Amino acid sequence: MSLGDRLAGFAARAAAPPAIDARRATLGVVVAFLAPALLVYAGFTVYPVLRTFYNAFHTIKPHNVVEFAGLGNFTTLLFADPVFWKAVSNTALFTVVATIVDVAGGLLLALCLFVRAPLAPVLRVVWFTPVLMSYVVVGILWVWIFDYDWGLANATLRWLGLGAYEQSWLGQPSTALWSVLVAHEWKWLGFNMIVFLAALHALPSEVLGAAELDNCGWLAKLVHIIAPMLRPTIVNLLVLSFVGKMMVFDLIWVMTGGGPLWSTETVSTYVYKRAFEWNTFDLGYPSAIAVLWFVIILAFVMLMTRLLRQRDKLEF
Amino acid sequence: MRRVVVVGLVLLAVLLAAAPAARAQEVTLEVWSHEADEPAKVAFRELAARNLEKSHPGVKVKITWYEKNPLFAALKTALPAGKGPDVFYLEPDQTEYITAGYIIPLDDLVNWNNIEPWARKVWTHNGKTYGIPQEAYTVELYYNKDALKKLGIDLPANAQFTQAQFLDVVKKARAAGMTPISQGVGDRPYPGAYIAAEALLRKLGPDDYQKLFTGKLSFADPRVVEVLKWVKELVDAGAYPKNFMTLKLGESHYYFYSKPGALMLPMGSFYTGRAFVPEDKGGQPVTFPLGIMQFPAMDRGACNECKTSTIGASFAINAASKQKQLAAEFLNAMSTPEMGKMWIETVYLQTGIKADVKNFTGPHAAYFTELMERQKGEKYFIGQPRDMVTGECKDAFAQVLNSGFPGGLLTVDQTVQMMNKSCYKGQ
Repeated sequence: MSLGDRLAGFAARAAAPPAIDARRATLGVVVAFLAPALLVYAGFTVYPVLRTFYNAFHTIKPHNVVEFAGLGNFTTLLFADPVFWKAVSNTALFTVVATIVDVAGGLLLALCLFVRAPLAPVLRVVWFTPVLMSYVVVGILWVWIFDYDWGLANATLRWLGLGAYEQSWLGQPSTALWSVLVAHEWKWLGFNMIVFLAALHALPSEVLGAAELDNCGWLAKLVHIIAPMLRPTIVNLLVLSFVGKMMVFDLIWVMTGGGPLWSTETVSTYVYKRAFEWNTFDLGYPSAIAVLWFVIILAFVMLMTRLLRQRDKLEF
Repeated sequence: MRRVVVVGLVLLAVLLAAAPAARAQEVTLEVWSHEADEPAKVAFRELAARNLEKSHPGVKVKITWYEKNPLFAALKTALPAGKGPDVFYLEPDQTEYITAGYIIPLDDLVNWNNIEPWARKVWTHNGKTYGIPQEAYTVELYYNKDALKKLGIDLPANAQFTQAQFLDVVKKARAAGMTPISQGVGDRPYPGAYIAAEALLRKLGPDDYQKLFTGKLSFADPRVVEVLKWVKELVDAGAYPKNFMTLKLGESHYYFYSKPGALMLPMGSFYTGRAFVPEDKGGQPVTFPLGIMQFPAMDRGACNECKTSTIGASFAINAASKQKQLAAEFLNAMSTPEMGKMWIETVYLQTGIKADVKNFTGPHAAYFTELMERQKGEKYFIGQPRDMVTGECKDAFAQVLNSGFPGGLLTVDQTVQMMNKSCYKGQ
């Protein structure tokens, strides 16, 4: 480098504005940048959560008259509210089944695409498209599909000569929750599929190639190589799926409203009904349900992450 | 850079200073209303708003249109926070707004000379009136005249079958491959109970009927059980559509007069709001042979001439409103005799507003004449079960009497047990 070039470089550096160093920012600047986001978070997340906890131990009367209820709301809930327990059992069933199907089904679909099954590009679009729809649209669509008279489900059964099995899918307590589950899976499998597909493509090809060289069969490869390497993804999806299912509301609300005879009532739909459809302004009792459910979800999430935590880090 | 910031701040200050001045010139009255999907009612209320704006320069009436459930969810969060509109839609069963003090008595604010006294009574609690009763309706049993003729059945002169005859009508319709009663509970907590409730009213008479739904009469009462057994016979005879559980209120109308067609439709006389719109917008065909019959007479019924009448759409004033007088002016603007006449002529529905119906004209005049014919000699019971039940009983009513029982999921014994558990409080 010539002297001229050096001088030119020095002059350019001297003329350039000083580089921004976040570590040198004053407290005022940091606060100014963080405040808007923190205010929104505090106003729309922290305060409602704290207020819900507060409400749970009180009876809320009109015009901000609040009476301390102690554990009264919780004891009523636990010992004198059969609908709550019905909602708990429905939610538990929905959560367990949907979480397993979500994760296992998503993995299977992703594997289909990963091994380049015939029509894979088309299938990827077909399987993922429902994820882009809102639950309301999906709910309305599936209510039509399950309609007794003109729905696709019964029409297909009739076409197959299985007319004896046609029924009111959403109108029978024995089939309603399962029908909603089908609609849910139709919408949600594609999401897990995409996540798994991304994880599969990120796997080291040398490891998979080495397994093939060792004449490892596809099932052994899946069980002993792919699944362990996907473990963090599987755990994350299990936890996410579990939390989502425990709070299921919109699809149920659109498709059945919790009926027939509370057979699809979930904890979330029950909270909504107690808060807005019981001729009362008391948010204490519904808040108690929400708080109790929050604690249960939190406990299960902690348990799941503890049980499924990977103790030995895989290196590849 | 600093100069740009200074200029921006100055501009902002000017804008903020100017805003109150602009607001001072125009007062906005906020109204939240349900029934966005009923064009005639939308037009009616918007006209009242424009009329008020004309008579009160500088006033702007802003109506926000909601569906029912989102409206009440919004109100139940806004009102406790001291917010919400000046005027809002309400129905008489929502007494919690009165007990909570979120709406104000209108006795000294509104011109009650234009309101029917019986309609005002529905909104009167402890001597004070809290709502303007705009929409009034009776519970009617609509039917397809041609379809009934096709079954070879003649309507009795008093337009009322006995309970045995009615069961026979249902069986004949089903045997002819026709859905006897178009009804669905997909989006409402009450239509499935129409047949049972009307039968109970006629069997028990008004006093015991009221006791039943206010927890003072047991569902195990032999008369109640007798009615439920008759309803169960109807259900078992296939009275309702197979998609009863998911069929929505609007769809049940279309099911009745268009596809696939049904013999009868029990419905509030607000039927017209959906049926009397153009056919391409889901209304009934112009040539549809619509008839109205009375609900069947019960054997040994205490009041077979009884009929349910009630108030639907009403409007109340938010206790937190800063312009209560103006809000009352809007209620008055919706309640003039001219507006009452317009309501009947365009919505084709009864109203709590005093209106001269003798001059009634319009394309559906014949319908209204028949509707009035069916009111002759009737004794009205004001209010529906859902106006009387609250809390757990309301939920049980929606799930059991409205849905599970007519849906064929429950026996009479189970129904009695479940209703009593949630509703009966003893003598």
